[in-house]
Amino acid sequence: MDTPTNKRYSRRSFLKLAGSGLAFVSAGAFIQGCAAPAAVPAAPAAPADAEAAAEAPTVEEPIAEAPAQAATTLKMWWWGEQEAPGLEKWLKASAEMYKEKSGNTVEMTLQDNASVIPEFQTASAAKNAPDIQFLWNGIYHMESVWLDYLEPLDDLIPTDVLKNSGATALSVFAGKQYRIGWYSAAPCWLYNKEMFADAGLNPEAPPTEWDELLKACEALKATGYTPITGGLKDGPWGEWYMGHGLTPNLDTAADAVNLFIGELDWREPRYYDHWTKLDEIWRAGVINDDMLSIDLYPGIDLFGSGKGAMTAVVVPLIGKQVETLGMEKVGAMVFPVSGAGAMNNLPIADSQGLGISSQSASKQVAADFLTFLHDPERVNALYNEVRALPTDTSWDGATQIKDEPFKTVWQTWVANKDAVPYIANLMPVLFWTDAMFVNSQKIIGGEYNGTQAGENAYAVTQKWKEQNPDMVENYKAWAADLAKV
Amino acid sequence: MLRTHRLTPFLFLAPMLALLTFVFGYSLVKIFDFSMRRIRGATGPFIGFENYRQVFKDDVFHLALKHNALLLLAVPILVILSILIAVLLHEQVRGWRFYRTLYFAPYIFAIPVIGIVFSNMLSLNGAVNQLLRGIGLDRLALDWLGSSNLALWTLMFVIIWRELGFGIVLYLARLLSLNEELEDAGKIDGANWGQRLWYITLPQLKDVTEFYVVINIITMLAWVFPFVYVITRGGPGNATQVMELYIYNFAFRNSLPGMASAVAVVLFLITLIFIIPLFTLRQRTEGGEAS
Repeated sequence: MDTPTNKRYSRRSFLKLAGSGLAFVSAGAFIQGCAAPAAVPAAPAAPADAEAAAEAPTVEEPIAEAPAQAATTLKMWWWGEQEAPGLEKWLKASAEMYKEKSGNTVEMTLQDNASVIPEFQTASAAKNAPDIQFLWNGIYHMESVWLDYLEPLDDLIPTDVLKNSGATALSVFAGKQYRIGWYSAAPCWLYNKEMFADAGLNPEAPPTEWDELLKACEALKATGYTPITGGLKDGPWGEWYMGHGLTPNLDTAADAVNLFIGELDWREPRYYDHWTKLDEIWRAGVINDDMLSIDLYPGIDLFGSGKGAMTAVVVPLIGKQVETLGMEKVGAMVFPVSGAGAMNNLPIADSQGLGISSQSASKQVAADFLTFLHDPERVNALYNEVRALPTDTSWDGATQIKDEPFKTVWQTWVANKDAVPYIANLMPVLFWTDAMFVNSQKIIGGEYNGTQAGENAYAVTQKWKEQNPDMVENYKAWAADLAKV
Repeated sequence: MLRTHRLTPFLFLAPMLALLTFVFGYSLVKIFDFSMRRIRGATGPFIGFENYRQVFKDDVFHLALKHNALLLLAVPILVILSILIAVLLHEQVRGWRFYRTLYFAPYIFAIPVIGIVFSNMLSLNGAVNQLLRGIGLDRLALDWLGSSNLALWTLMFVIIWRELGFGIVLYLARLLSLNEELEDAGKIDGANWGQRLWYITLPQLKDVTEFYVVINIITMLAWVFPFVYVITRGGPGNATQVMELYIYNFAFRNSLPGMASAVAVVLFLITLIFIIPLFTLRQRTEGGEAS
């Protein structure tokens, strides 16, 4: 029976209506999707434009910000718990305190180390970046600077806090600082004092030159110890080694940039000298034999479990080794690769840091939170609760730190004005994957010597230049900045 | 007879067609578009075939291509092993249900978990080599993941170990649904086990084999990334570099999504080259059988 109502809402008419509606909505979405790219801002500005943009008053005026009293919720993406256990607890406590103080909330998302930077770049490209972002030093955030994803901090954070934060010269581009230092990530080497003593070496005077290192390795090996432990399957060990090994043959960090972009030639012996030396120590049998089949952290843990005499670490990882081996056994040393450059055998400074997205609607609130993290009480807690060494140079580490090897590390790596930037943070990722990673693995695998590693590095820089012609000028400008440091 | 407007069916099809176009077509078009641009962030200038030129002259890409091609050797191994084990289970040997579960179990494990377990087991001083040394086979205790001569084959072994279960269950399900009269007729005619397998059973497994081959070709070309990423990261020294990892590196690490898209297009076309003839062959066979 067809009543008027039934006719009006028959199955067929309903399907027709729904079909038309869905088709319209889908077509609309489709067209909008196709049109979306046009709405996306232009590609990275050329250096000259970037400089102009940096000089332009891009920082929001306080009046444009949310009122200080109004509750703001900041999004923060971060990483670090993996290397500095306890950091999450410290951050949450800091966020709570900040909320009590300001009424603003910080929502934190702990990211994986493989995704923390790519996720930020992807989110920024989609105009959905967090307000505060964890940033490794150097190229790991400089690409985001060139893409205009990060806000300069100079006009947002008090100058003294920013300059004392230990962000290092690798956080500055065209006179603007884009990252505030957080805690030290300086690469250094640990040695087992007990094993040194057993091998007839002075446990309080680790080797300071390459020849001394070789002799120490021989003595340790003869005593039955594995002199050096490491894991190279995932790559960062090779990066750290290159950071330690290449620096002594460079005069400034700018040399490193010029090498990575092909302005200097990797085939010159002094630039691949560190790979020749890696080949030398590998052939001498002083590194654990399973280096190529284990990752970085298991390689370090061999040291912590008393199976090796020396290992490469970064400062946040020292705590765990001290915990497992005992404070009295662990010493810290500069890895003595030795070279002919002005930066020969100097300690390397590096820090983990935080930045503010250029897309944040609450830049000043984000900056206030970052400033709050540098409050003396919070900085003290960072050391006392997390055992992470703050890079804040206004912090009185000499008084606050009682234990070794943290005291030595603070004096030698963090508070040392002669410490040099970590040049491995200047390499383009293509160099990381195709040159550094491949070279170090092939040397340990017996497939490359130093010369071949240098040739491969040169070939990769040429390839990088061809693939990234638009980036070369940025790197050159960066090199010019770093040459002045 | 019910009369409808000639456009009405298309109207009903429109929503789903639009959805499919948006979900698949748009992505595909964007990948082709990206592959011809130097993308920085969300967009970039049109550079024609420059990304393709860079990709084809890159030695690392050649290596990746070669390694994916070598991994295709796992396809016949998977097919043969799956059929053999499924046939044996179909004979309903004692505890066959338990074995079926056992063989299928790896397939339900998450690949990262498998990767981590095998990474530890197969390291130079891992469980496998310790066992070999323990039973006096020191010479077989090789650096399975650390040697550039072995790493790819080790990876292939792990992939086969994981993917085999799916094939076994697939073939077993088909075997259980076969017409037993043909098998019985074979027995009456005096055919032995091997003859019955070759002339009666295998021809009836053709459909499943075609499907399984297609799935495995896709797997070896475009589905091995999690294994490589977790177990070897493409090393040592690019010895296990594959196209997916190459794409990942350019898309998410080198900040060159245009290059990554160019490789994705190449991978897409290579997969089509393998898949289309298989489907064409199948259609012809079906057509022949129907006539």
